[in-house]
Amino acid sequence: MVDQAAGQRNAQPSTSARNAVVIGGNRIPFARSGGAYAYSSNQDMLTAAFDGLVARFGLQGERIGEVAAGAVLKHSRDFNLTREAVLGSALAADTPAYDVQQACATGLETVIGLANKIKLGQIESAIAGGVDSASDAPIAVSEGLRRILLDLSRAKTTPQKLSVLSRLRPKDLAPNAPTTGEPRTGLSMGEHQAITTSQWKITREAQDELAFNSHHNLAGAYERGFFSDLVTPYRGVTKDANLRADTSLEKLAKLKPVFGKSLGDGATMTAGNSTPLTDGAAAVLLGSEDYARRNTLPMLANVVDAEAAAVDFVHGAEGLLMAPVYAMPRMLARNGLTFDDFDFFEIHEAFAGTVLSSLAAWENEDFCRNKLGLDGALGTVDRSKLNVNGSSLAAGHPFAATGGRIVAALAKALAEKGSGRGLISVCAAGGQGVVAILEAREQ
Amino acid sequence: MSEVVLDSVPSLPSLYRSALIGSVPLPRMGRRTKGAGTADLPAVRHSVSGIKASVGELTRFQQLIGAPVHDLLPSGFVHTIAFPVAMSVMARKDFPLPLLGMIHLRNSVEHRRAIHFSEILDVSAWAENLRQHHAGTQVDLVTEVTAQGEVAWIGRSTYLAKGARITGTPTESKEGREPFVAPPLTAIWDLPGSAGRSYAAVSGDYNPIHLNALTAKALGMRRTIAHGMYLASRMVQEGTPAGVESFAWTIDFRSPVLLPARVSIAIEPHDEAGVWHSSIITGWNARKGREHFTGSVTRLPVRPFR
Repeated sequence: MVDQAAGQRNAQPSTSARNAVVIGGNRIPFARSGGAYAYSSNQDMLTAAFDGLVARFGLQGERIGEVAAGAVLKHSRDFNLTREAVLGSALAADTPAYDVQQACATGLETVIGLANKIKLGQIESAIAGGVDSASDAPIAVSEGLRRILLDLSRAKTTPQKLSVLSRLRPKDLAPNAPTTGEPRTGLSMGEHQAITTSQWKITREAQDELAFNSHHNLAGAYERGFFSDLVTPYRGVTKDANLRADTSLEKLAKLKPVFGKSLGDGATMTAGNSTPLTDGAAAVLLGSEDYARRNTLPMLANVVDAEAAAVDFVHGAEGLLMAPVYAMPRMLARNGLTFDDFDFFEIHEAFAGTVLSSLAAWENEDFCRNKLGLDGALGTVDRSKLNVNGSSLAAGHPFAATGGRIVAALAKALAEKGSGRGLISVCAAGGQGVVAILEAREQ
Repeated sequence: MSEVVLDSVPSLPSLYRSALIGSVPLPRMGRRTKGAGTADLPAVRHSVSGIKASVGELTRFQQLIGAPVHDLLPSGFVHTIAFPVAMSVMARKDFPLPLLGMIHLRNSVEHRRAIHFSEILDVSAWAENLRQHHAGTQVDLVTEVTAQGEVAWIGRSTYLAKGARITGTPTESKEGREPFVAPPLTAIWDLPGSAGRSYAAVSGDYNPIHLNALTAKALGMRRTIAHGMYLASRMVQEGTPAGVESFAWTIDFRSPVLLPARVSIAIEPHDEAGVWHSSIITGWNARKGREHFTGSVTRLPVRPFR
């Protein structure tokens, strides 16, 4: 843990590979769990996101190089979720697809993996994406009943079967619903973040302000039509249902803490500065420059580089959602860049406390020396460049769909500006995190 | 010290049954202490050789404590295999303290090397260190597990017989315990009301205080309580980094975990020269601010492979 950077320091960005470009994106508006998409499955929503992308870029009947997507809360029957969504979409039936699962980093990881295939010349075009439904969540039979049913299927004779069935107890009939708890700690993600938030002494006011800015920025982006070519209405929803354009710091200040209540006065995380459970899907179209030119498609940004990291939160060495903090300096060093070289920062707002703890860590000299193995503080993120078109606190966070939402919106922002670079940081369950760099196309 | 060689590992339920019959009304204890003034531990070790773990029992144990289902024995599982031999020492007619109602105070174990489930184990156990405690009398049960001619695991379990008085042994004064300050939380264990029955099923430890409220009440507990060895097994599992196969651990039980329970857990690792050296693990009840246990796991030097 002393010097995580050391093992990776020799990695160099490839100079010989060709560019992979973001052509565009499409998502359905995100809805709160139990809302408008309560009866839509992951497959339904992912297919809707794909079909919107197909319509936007004229991909009907086209064979795409490869499609990758995933979901975090996934039914076991959905083992081939992405391929099934492709088959249900207007894409050509001979488009191959695979599933990815890296918790909340799923969507970003699909972009990175597919962009790398494009850079290597293995494919010309790709669709990356993700979907999640907290409403249509899988519910499993209890561990006891599951074992009994499996043993029953292996029993050959009637006496054997009866003996297996005799193990059945009333409590075995209670189902298992998924939780947001970490399997190894039993703590929910919010409880984990509450510990980190308190360790970094992040105030309630700072968290509420970040949440306020998220709603304000997302509302502003909708108002000026920023999402008109990124979002396709679904089930009557035209805007992210969680967006509260009229929220105020006073309203946010009134909410009671929901996480870290055992911290007493240190409890600062509310439903306002934490993301709600959300349903939604997002997709991103990627391609080689050649593919985009041949099909007269736009090129919004290049996918430059990415880095993943993980931390040991199980044994208390680091906070659950702090892994991107470790990934960031490794990726910046490899590319010879600092925070000053970026025009946009997309730091996923799992909780306001996550964003603010990350910023505080990068600004802290001791932490950067001792934990990141740097010579001093990594640097300060210019707040006026942070999540300028809103982020998860306002839009909501359908886990695997968030990466696609961010990549498409950042690529568009870079294309609008016509120059510069954007930085993405996404934390994920299991103590993981992924960061990435996009850059504007030269005009 | 003489040696009594047993044919096989005694079954705990039958030990408890005979203890129940023998201990109503409570102790042999009273007679001994009042009369003789001095009580001695039997100078005997009980031994069983040729023990082999059952893969099915190992799997169920591993699954219950959240350990990976691999081929090496969890430290707590070695205890469940071996400890009935120590119990048989406590169940002897000449053992000066009552078996039932004894309070489990502490464990300290050296898990000197990884033990594969297929290894043939020899177990030897004895009692030592009978001494006074401010609330009664305590004793250590030592259990030694030998594999391929060397001691692979050695455990010391400390028990308290509440209210039992022995003269002639040094008195341990009541230490002023510092008020409990909760360390930074790293996990929560949600233990259902059935946690005692579940652990009894994988360990064979059907002590009535773990099974249901009535039997627990009969033995002076308000509700059923979690097995100390269940807490210890999970503590060792979660507090030891994967791949560390040679380690020592201790656990001190401060207050019983009444079931069902929500136990707050803190794992505080300590590195030396960038490598894991040890962890302190604490379990407590956050609502009542009461500590349940505190323990440690420490890396042991790796023994040369023979």
